[in-house]
Order: sequence, then C-alpha cells, then structure tokens
Amino acid sequence: MTTLKINGKQHTLNLEPETPLLWAIRDTVGLTGTKYGCGIQQCGACTVLIGKRPVRSCGITVGEVAGKDITTIEGLSEDSKHPVQLAWIEEQVPQCGYCQSGQIMAAVSLLERKPNPTDQEIDRGMLNLCRCGTYPRIRKAIHRASDLLKEVS
Amino acid sequence: MRILQLNRRDFLKSSAFAGGGLFLGLSGFAKLAEAEAGKALPPYLHIAQDGGIHLGVPSSEMGQGTHTTLAMFLAEELEVEMSQIKHIETLHHPDFKNPIFAEWTNSAINIQVTGGSVSIRAWHLPFRQLGATARELLRSSASRKWNVPVVECMAVNGRIEHSGSGRSLGYGDLVEIASLLTPIKNPKLKSPEHFRLLGKAIPRWDTPIKVNGTAVFGTDVDLPGMLYGTVKHCSVFGEKISGIDDSKAKEVQGVIAVLPLEDHAVVVANSTWAAMQGAKVLNLQTSGGYNDLSDENIIKQFRTDLAKEGVPVAHRGDPVTFMEQAAQVLELEYESPLQAHAAMEPLCATANVTPEGCEVWAPTQSNDFAMMIAMGITQLPPEKIKIHTTYLGGGFGRKVEYDFITAPLLASKMLGKPVKVTWTREEDTRHDFYRPPFLVKMRFGLDAEGMLQGLSAKLVGPAVSRRWKMPPPWLEKNGRDWMVTIGMFDGYNLPNRTPDLSKAYSIPNIQVDFVPSDIQVPTGAWRSIGTAHNTFALESGLDEVALAGGHDPFELRRNLLSHNSRALAVLDKAEELANWGKHPKGRFQGMAYTDYLETYQVQVVEASVSKRGKVTVHNIICVADCGQVFNSHIAKQQLEGGIIFGLTAALKGEINVQNGQVVQSNFDDYPMLKLKDIPEIKVHLIENHGPPGGLGEAGTSLIGPAVANAVFAATGKRLRRLPIKSKDLV
Repeated sequence: MTTLKINGKQHTLNLEPETPLLWAIRDTVGLTGTKYGCGIQQCGACTVLIGKRPVRSCGITVGEVAGKDITTIEGLSEDSKHPVQLAWIEEQVPQCGYCQSGQIMAAVSLLERKPNPTDQEIDRGMLNLCRCGTYPRIRKAIHRASDLLKEVS
Repeated sequence: MRILQLNRRDFLKSSAFAGGGLFLGLSGFAKLAEAEAGKALPPYLHIAQDGGIHLGVPSSEMGQGTHTTLAMFLAEELEVEMSQIKHIETLHHPDFKNPIFAEWTNSAINIQVTGGSVSIRAWHLPFRQLGATARELLRSSASRKWNVPVVECMAVNGRIEHSGSGRSLGYGDLVEIASLLTPIKNPKLKSPEHFRLLGKAIPRWDTPIKVNGTAVFGTDVDLPGMLYGTVKHCSVFGEKISGIDDSKAKEVQGVIAVLPLEDHAVVVANSTWAAMQGAKVLNLQTSGGYNDLSDENIIKQFRTDLAKEGVPVAHRGDPVTFMEQAAQVLELEYESPLQAHAAMEPLCATANVTPEGCEVWAPTQSNDFAMMIAMGITQLPPEKIKIHTTYLGGGFGRKVEYDFITAPLLASKMLGKPVKVTWTREEDTRHDFYRPPFLVKMRFGLDAEGMLQGLSAKLVGPAVSRRWKMPPPWLEKNGRDWMVTIGMFDGYNLPNRTPDLSKAYSIPNIQVDFVPSDIQVPTGAWRSIGTAHNTFALESGLDEVALAGGHDPFELRRNLLSHNSRALAVLDKAEELANWGKHPKGRFQGMAYTDYLETYQVQVVEASVSKRGKVTVHNIICVADCGQVFNSHIAKQQLEGGIIFGLTAALKGEINVQNGQVVQSNFDDYPMLKLKDIPEIKVHLIENHGPPGGLGEAGTSLIGPAVANAVFAATGKRLRRLPIKSKDLV
C-alpha cells in the first residue's frame, strides 16, 4: 500500500513501491493528462511537479514520492486559467497536443525559478521533446506567461 | 473482407431522430442502413434544440488542425461562431471515403484515410455546402413559422432574423420544423469578400482541451474492466515465433496472459507497467529472419540495381542526344537513409470484442483499414463493428498502418474483455514502417552558356506501395510508384491522373526512371513521402548546377520557372525577405524550392559551421503560395512544424540496420531536436484566392537541401547524404 497526494487529494494505492509514478498516475489513479513517451526520462511527456520541482514521472517510483505534493496537469488550475495555460492558448501552441501537458508543467516550474526568463534560460529549462514542431510558439508562450504572471501578482 | 462502397449522391438527406434536432448528411446513407444494418448510420451534422452544433468529420486530427478548419467551413456558411460548435469528432462513415484519392486512382483507393495533405482540398466544398444547406433549411423554417418570404429571413450569428419586423429566433427553436423540410439542392455559397471566419487566424477548437489534459488520445482510452497490454516483436526482420518461454513473464505480478502471434507476442496485465515488465523478461524463440540485412548490404544492392533498366517516370525532349553534345555534364549521386516516424504518442489501440459486436478505439489515420482488420479478426459484419477515432499524438504517416490494431483485437477476442495495448518506445522505434532509403543518380547537362538543358535521373529504392495488399489495385501504375517518385518530375503520376509537368522546371530534355529495389525492412509513408529523397537530390543538384554554370541559385530557378508566375512571386519574396547575398559575416545562405502539393514554396537558411564541423542554423525564411489560406494560424503551424520535422531528419539521427535489426531504440540513440536547437523561423504566406494546395507535408522536404546548400556555401563541402555529420565537415 502506498499513499500518494496528487493534486491535493490522498490516494491509497495497492502498488509495489517500485512502480513508476507515471503508471500509478495513469493506470491506477486514472489521470491520463500525464503521458508516456519514452520511459527513460528523455522526452518529458510525463513531467509532473513534486513540490515545485519538475520531475519526469516515468523515472521516479511511488515509494520515493509517497506523501509528497504531486501536481499533474489536471491539478494546475480548476478552470484551465493558469497563466501558462492562458499563454499557451493565446500563442496557439499545441498541434497534436500529446507532449503539451509535460511542456506546460516544465514551463510552470521554469517560471517559478525564473519569473523573467531570457531565451537562454528557456533553452536550458525546456528540454522536453515535441515532434510537431511547436517549439517556437512554446518560447513565445513562456515570455507571454511571464507577463501574465506579473499582472496576476 | 470488403469495404463498404456507397455511391455518393448530390442530394442531402435530412431526418428527425429521437432526441430532436436537425440531422444532416451528404448522401443517401439511410437507405443502406435500412437495407443492410437495420439501423441508421450516424449523421454528421446535428443541430440540437439548444442550438449547440455537433459535427462528425472525415479527417483524423493528428495535430494538423483539420477539425478546426473543417468546422470553420461549416460555421462560415451556417453563420455561427466557432463557440457554438460543441462537439467535433472524427466519424467513421461510408460517406467519408476520400474523394481526391478516389478520383486520382479511378476509385482503386476508395477509403476513409487522412494523409497526402488532401483533407482541405477534399472536404472544403462539401463542408461549406453542408453548412449552407442547413442555413437555408433554417431560413425556410423561419419563413414558414412567421409566414413571410424567405428572402426576408436572414441568418445572423446563430439566429434567423426577420428584416421587416425585427423578430428573431435561435437555430435551436427552428430545428424541429427544419427537420421536416426537404433540403434544397446547390444552396448558394458565400462569396469570399463576405467571409467572417475563413482566411482569418481563428484559434484552434482543440487548443483548450490540449492545455488541460482532457483531450483523449489513443493511449488515454479507459473502459470498465479493461486490461492493459504491450507487444514484443521478434528482433530481426522476417523472423517468426517458433516457441515461447513465458515462465518469467508470468511471474511478474499483474501479468495475466501471454499470447504469441506470428511475429510478435502480446503481454496482457492489470496495468501497462506490469505488461511492459512482463514483456521485458519474455523469451521468444524464433526462426527465419533476414540476419544478413544491413545498411551496407542495402546500399550495395541499390548500386547493383542502378545498372538495371528502370520504369519510365517522366520523359521530355531528347535527353540522350542532348547529353552527347552538352558543354558540361554533372554526374551526381545523392543518398537518403531510413528514418523512423517517432510520433510522441507510441502506437496503441483498444478493442472490445464480444460475440455480438466489436468496438475499436484507435489513433488511426485510416479508419477503413481499422475496420478491415477488425472484420478479418472478428469475422463480424461491418454493421456490428464500430471504429472510434481518438486524437492522434502525431501520425506523420505511421498511423495509416493497422499493425498496431491487431494485438488488442486478438487479445480482447481471446480474453473476453476490453484490452488496451500500448507499445513501448523501443518497440515503436524498432518496428516502424520506415521512410524508405533511396539512391538518386542524376546527370545534369549544361549548354555553352551554363544553362541547364538536360536531366536524366534514376531513382533506386523500394516501391513502398507494393506492400499494401488491400485493397488492390493500389497506387502503382505499370510498376511506377507515386509514393516514391513524387518530387522528381513525376507530376502526380497516379493510376487515373495525367501527369502534370506544366508548372515544373522547364528543362527541355528530361528522362526520369525508377528502379524498384525492394528491401526486407518495412517501409511506408513518412511525412513528405518521395519528396524526402527526391527534393533533397534535385535541389542540392541544382545548387551544383548553378555553381557550375556561373549562376546565382535564385537566378537559375527564375530562368527555369519563367513560365510559372506563382513560383516567380515566391522566389522574389523569399529573396527579398532573406536579404539574399547580404548575410552577416561568418554566416552563409542556402535555398531550395518545391511545388509539392501544388504549394509553391521557397525556404532560405542562414547557417554557420564551426571548426569542429558543428552546423548551426540561425534563421529560416519560408515563403509559400498554397492558394487560398483558410486559417493562417494553422497554415503557419503546419509549415513551421513541417520544417522542424525535416530539420530534425537533416541534422539529427538516422535509422541504421545491422544483423537484420534496427540499431536504435529510443530517444537516447535516436535523438530529436530540442527547443534550444530551433532557429528563428519566419513564414510568409502569399495572398491568393485560388484553389487550395496541401500544407501538412509541404514544409518538410526542402529544409534539408536548403541547409546542405548553406553548408556548402560555408565550407565548400557538398553533402550528398543526410543527416549531416560533423565528421564530414572537418
């Protein structure tokens, strides 16, 4: 038995402690916004936040994160109005959309650390893969989200 | 097995269903439903009593924005805002067989399929007509209700307004009357100057659900009582399973069953993770297999086959005589390697097979192929099978295939429960239908003024269409294979299409031949198909010709395209926007041109090469004339995305084969470009209100030669094989 705190809600799960967090989130808890892309922490489609840190959930076990605050794309906002989500809509980022949950979670975390990121900081902070080629729009959307976050605060 | 064949009819049929509202379809499908299925096939336009619009569309949404654009055609004519469209789904439907492929192939390809960048070309008029028909029905309904002439009833923003009295009714209040009326034939379509939506940068309908995790992709299907599976293939191409040791796999907690099939096994468990763990320790015994298959043997075979006589693809003038008297002949060989699709969503599908019926949920580009494989496995008639098309986490041609739908169907049939099968990234990379490798040999003949007067080219590589056995006859025409000859003066040479070279480079003497050289690596459709190898060869070759003849690359192309005003306009604009010839110190430019998909396009690259041979692309200018642009956001997204897809293939990995198997397996050894690698990309669309060309694949094939040409300008080293490797530049 492992207890996970996902999006503020406790889930007691009958899982081996070495189960990757990704599969607990997707198959056991049933939150499918977090995606499987590679299983070896290369692509970032499975990115979630542990506390405020971006973590590739395919590479961390439920045993390691038991009791910690886990945020998935579903928990980012009640109404899809997190400034990063709004910026993503304004800049029309997604194409197929499969990698975007992970991209958004990585961007949220980057903006926590660097509220006014330079292009170089975005380059260093955004290592998730996208095959549709949404990268130029992701860059623009992060700058836009940075502005929106300032307006909110 | 058979595909349902229905004759398209030119009338629209409406009918009232339980639940109310107005339902419309484009053909007489209800007749088939009564005769064969005993129940109605689904309609694809439903205007509910609350005025909400529910839309079924033919094309799979794999990132190209087709759901949004098709909905815009309808919304434009129906006079509603996009926000009134409550639901859009890809509907598997006999009416939705792609009319462009059917026309090009004399109905040999008469299937519902999303590919070839033809969705908008195929469906823009039918969906506008559908919207206009509904609009006219609603106007007639209001006219009857108010007892006033129809001309006084105007459709405005989801309502019918009466010009004289100021009365108005929402569409929802009129659907009951509308559903009893007979639609008029050939309703008047709006003229472009009255467009509210078409041509504008309208936000995509699917963006909100793609930023909050609620869009349902193939991997996200969840059914009550569902089991989870994954596949493990024999490693070597051509191997078959001869025995299986599943004792270790079955020891993995959660593993329920191991089902050996012909060349792969399915491991079924109570979670995807357990299935993947089981597959890892599953021991497959195999027989057969092409163990000698390797990159070296493939290229050796191509070189041997180069001496063979090919199938004629294009002929013009007298290239043999001209080459004998040419002032200069350049003999060049270009090679393209295998590439995988590597969509971010690995292959996956879900099936629920019961004795009474079958449902499939798949991120498929070919709903009819999914239907055929389901019919074959379940032996059920089509009316007992339902194909649900999820969002696709990228397709790029890979998800036209149906191999990934076999395992869940068989597993569900055998276990009596719904089964979702998700491939690992490793299986997805190692068991693709790859972009075919090709060897392209060209001889360019120049006259005394250095002008290009002759080209003879031989294309050597696999005929990818031969593999598709259903439904015959396929894409081949007398041994030619459009899928791989496109881009080398092939002029869309499909079985029922007269090749059109009127817009192509006006080289007076041309001979192009294709030598089919089949290999034991599965190959298929990869975004941009044959232009991937042909445009790389031709546009790099023309750069060599320009240099040899003492011409600027833009000037050479202007000379060869003086008969094509759209091409000239694109060349002029690209030259201007790129500041051609005025690049900053240390940076070098390269360009390439294509008319693929009847979209005229130039890309100009500014790049630099370090002493260690590292290529950096600093910026890319893309100028395109794709005819009428219906949504400039989406058009630009497609070109940007196509460019990055092609740039990845030009700068990053390739698929290698050794000892009969693929060497690469995941993103660590088959790397992709990341955000940090992406240069500034400026896309400029030429305004044009002519017929639409294709965009989804348009950007991909010319970025490779544009980069290679810039690298030549920087280093004097001509790259005749992609991807670019630093070691070749030092």
